[in-house]
Amino acid sequence: MQPFIHIDVANSEEVIPLLDARSRPLAGGTDMLPLMKEGIVAPERLINIKRAGDLRYIRADEDGLHIGALTTLDELDRHPDVRRDYTTLAQAAAEAASPQLRNMATLGGNLLQQARCWYYRGDFHCWLKGGELCHARDGRNEYHAIFDQSPCVAVYPSDPPAALMALEANLRIVGPQGARLVPVAEFLQPPSAERRTLHTLAPNELIVEVHVPKGPSGSVYLKAMDRATWAYALASVAVAANIRDGRAHNVRIVLGAVSNRPIRALAAEELVEGQLITPELARRAGETALAAARALEHNHYKLPLTRNLVAQALRDIMAG
Amino acid sequence: MPKVVKTTINVEGRVSEQFAIVEGAELPPWGEHEELGIVGYPAPRIDGAARVSGEARYTYDVQLPGMVYGRLVRAKQASAKITRIDVRKAKAVRGVVDVMTYENVPDIEMSGRQTRLLSDDVRFAGQTIAVVVAVDPYVAADAAALIEVEYAERPLVADPEAALAADAVKVQPDKPNNLLNGKPRIKERGDVAAGFAAADEIAAVTVRTPTALHNAFETHGCVAHWEGDQLTIYESTQHTFGVREFAAKKLELPMSKVRAVSTFMGGGFGAKFPGSAYTLIAATTAKRLRRPVHLMYDREGENLETGNRGQTLQQVKIGARRDGTLTAIEYSGISEGGAAMGWLPMLEGPASMMYRCPNFRSETSGVLTNLGPMAAFRAPGFVEGMVGLEAAMDELAHKLGMDPLELRRKNIPDTDQLEEKPFSSLPLDECYTRGAAAIGWERRSQPGSQSDGRYRRGIGMASQIWWGGGGPPAYAEMLLNSDGTATVMTGTQDLGTGTRTILAQVAAEELGLPLEQVNVTVGDTLQGPFGPASGGSVTTGSMTPAVRSAANDLRNNLCDIVAQMRDIPQNEIEIRGGMIYRRDQELASVREIMRKLGDVMLQGTGSRGPNPDDVSVVTSGAQFAEVEVDTVTGLVRVLKIVAAHDSGRIMNPQTFNSQIYGGIIQGMGLALTEQRIVDTERGAVLNPNLEFYKLPTIADVPQIENILIDIPDTKANSTGAKGAGEPGIIPTAAAIANAVADALGVRVGTLPITPPRVLEALDAQ
Repeated sequence: MQPFIHIDVANSEEVIPLLDARSRPLAGGTDMLPLMKEGIVAPERLINIKRAGDLRYIRADEDGLHIGALTTLDELDRHPDVRRDYTTLAQAAAEAASPQLRNMATLGGNLLQQARCWYYRGDFHCWLKGGELCHARDGRNEYHAIFDQSPCVAVYPSDPPAALMALEANLRIVGPQGARLVPVAEFLQPPSAERRTLHTLAPNELIVEVHVPKGPSGSVYLKAMDRATWAYALASVAVAANIRDGRAHNVRIVLGAVSNRPIRALAAEELVEGQLITPELARRAGETALAAARALEHNHYKLPLTRNLVAQALRDIMAG
Repeated sequence: MPKVVKTTINVEGRVSEQFAIVEGAELPPWGEHEELGIVGYPAPRIDGAARVSGEARYTYDVQLPGMVYGRLVRAKQASAKITRIDVRKAKAVRGVVDVMTYENVPDIEMSGRQTRLLSDDVRFAGQTIAVVVAVDPYVAADAAALIEVEYAERPLVADPEAALAADAVKVQPDKPNNLLNGKPRIKERGDVAAGFAAADEIAAVTVRTPTALHNAFETHGCVAHWEGDQLTIYESTQHTFGVREFAAKKLELPMSKVRAVSTFMGGGFGAKFPGSAYTLIAATTAKRLRRPVHLMYDREGENLETGNRGQTLQQVKIGARRDGTLTAIEYSGISEGGAAMGWLPMLEGPASMMYRCPNFRSETSGVLTNLGPMAAFRAPGFVEGMVGLEAAMDELAHKLGMDPLELRRKNIPDTDQLEEKPFSSLPLDECYTRGAAAIGWERRSQPGSQSDGRYRRGIGMASQIWWGGGGPPAYAEMLLNSDGTATVMTGTQDLGTGTRTILAQVAAEELGLPLEQVNVTVGDTLQGPFGPASGGSVTTGSMTPAVRSAANDLRNNLCDIVAQMRDIPQNEIEIRGGMIYRRDQELASVREIMRKLGDVMLQGTGSRGPNPDDVSVVTSGAQFAEVEVDTVTGLVRVLKIVAAHDSGRIMNPQTFNSQIYGGIIQGMGLALTEQRIVDTERGAVLNPNLEFYKLPTIADVPQIENILIDIPDTKANSTGAKGAGEPGIIPTAAAIANAVADALGVRVGTLPITPPRVLEALDAQ
């Protein structure tokens, strides 16, 4: 491993001047340390922000939910307001990783998690690592994308961000020029030739807060895994909606683990908007959501799976 | 007066004649209804606290003054000749003391998996090509990354079915068809064609099982330490005496100068038999550097190089008469061996001996590929072969319109069809009856009938047969100390199965001491006599009679002494619970007698007697699985497993349960989640880690009910006990696969039965 300097900071203000292309913030470390051990990233300076107490809070008020970036996934899952009013987020946090990891992993870090593609994490100089070729595209791709958005077919791995997108959350990001507010849906972008990451955070910026507007009446997160727990999603779906008079309004459907970023299923949302969602309509919504999806060689199952999850999530949300 | 006897041993179906030296008269076996006070009762592991508190010192934990750490460097190509290997940058790192490659490693000829300690001939990605030795493991890892390797790439084949093609790349130059031994293994009895002609119904299935990785908690490795010309090897091994023999032979040392130690071991599952290059690299490097060398695999290296259960493709065809009597079985299968294959697992074992069938034919092949080599893995061949056989049995039952359990019950074998001998004991019918009652077999549906709603449930079962009787040579010694405590000494090892504990129970029982007064030393060739390799579930059947015999010898010596001291007839003396009695009259405690004798130490020696000639000793049983399939996600959840296995007398229900539970969980992994994933174009294993190689988690583990059959096999040996390490895994995957077929009404023929495969099967429905 490349030698590095470890710097402790006590609050978020001290962090920004220390951030640049050769440094990385260290929070829970559940992704950063493995990336460093594998030699995928090699920062010269590691800025330990774990003790920045001003970044660790959950506040629910009239304005919605304010979550400090250092809030752990476990804290998110256990918070009574999050569970009651922002159910999809609590469920997504609870379904992520294992108890040990959720105790360490922070929401800010979770948003920045890098691809779990086995070529990216393995001994391959793949496109996402700056190479020429996406090895998964013609190699083994059972866990990979069914919506093709860049040369890379790795899927965005984290669970809570799909729920945040369904809740139309924004991120408060601080940099040398001050703060900016950006929707999660814009923050997460497919990688490009110039930016080989699954997010758009600049090296000198830090996510400080996640703001979730006042929640809809109902929301749900469904995650399919290939064992009971501690697995990345084969596919997931976050749905949020206001159910009034038995009809669904302001429906948001987000598909996870199907592309470089969580995907809003806009056509499906439109199909069910303002409707009484019958099982038949839920099934059609699933088909609509996947209409543009294209399987790779080894992930055909993701089409029926994601369809099923969309339909199931809509049925669940109607059932309350 | 010791006598030499010749006896037959059956380890995993490999029958051999062994000489055994038997000391004294053979003890009569403990009777089926004999009242025992310690053996047969639950007892926590005597080393349990040490294991869970971190006090137990495993090979990985060995620390010696001046010790240096080795780091194995792996090939990144799957098939290549190394044209240049430059270690200068690695050697220049501060703290690096040595780097070995094929250019400077001692030239020792190997057999089996490696031909030389290190080679420029790369046959799979992950093959060790260099070893960096440094003052700490992190320096060694950093330096390892600086080694520059240039390869002349060769074509590769990384799929066993592709390796069988006529124009396939050759993995080994002398094996033109990539087959182990150049041809299939054929076994035959009776007349299969006539058998099928006599059948009213014939069922045929094709199944595939995945390459499974052992993933023992502790990886492979050793620490080598020289004191003068005396070599000590601490090694995580399934056979301490085998390590000693291997090292002595290859290093041309007298056996008396080599000591092998494996005091605590973190599992082997069949992959940790002696004979690997790392032992010799550590030993020769330690000698040259005059420093102890610690050389352990990391998880990734472990999963690439140290062995696996090779994937199989099996075709099974069974014919039966209307009443369910089997008339013919035809079995064909291939098992992937990777880049080196020492032997072909007995895939055809279950089909050839599980059920009575006069006409049988099998054709099995080991196939070489440019992937990590296979190794024995907990009931090798039988786990895989049972999946094929039991799938075919269920399909046959369906065709006959017969209850699948009834079909099996109808065909319980009356003799061992391979050895042509009666079984010493085969309580299969009892296993079926009690297992079926516990799972509620009568609830089992017609396949596919429970198809409403999101979740579908199903029940399935499978049978088990395996060896596990053990045999000689196996020895034990006992000492009675001046405080009345006793020590059992044997060079066998405890892989984590509870061997130590049951040996203490046997010694305490025979000697008449409370369990707390007995200690056991295992895993050190200098602290006890020869014990067998712990493989084939032989340790219990081999070692418990030897320990009983040593305890009996010691007991006789103690009684002799007491008789002389008290001037009473020896045959009137009894020892129970640490007290010495003349008939029912209490004389003194063992401790008091021993104290009186001062520094006197009483000894006992014992050995395992020969096996019976006229019977075949096997273990048998059945498992029943209930599953629930989520038709939305495709995930199979096992709700319950009922196990009923005959392992003869159960020495300790607690450790017995642990063995069966562990087997079931590992079998469940093969059925549902575990598979090595390979990019066959690149010859790369993509999941040599615990992130994407999916072991079952505790949340996946179902309710397990293990029924204790507990019938002492009095013909097998003097304790009536047989092995339990492997039986538990043999039927699990087969039973789960049959339960899933019952739930879905369609068979997923390729294991593991993952959500993708379930969703594909549902899609096709």
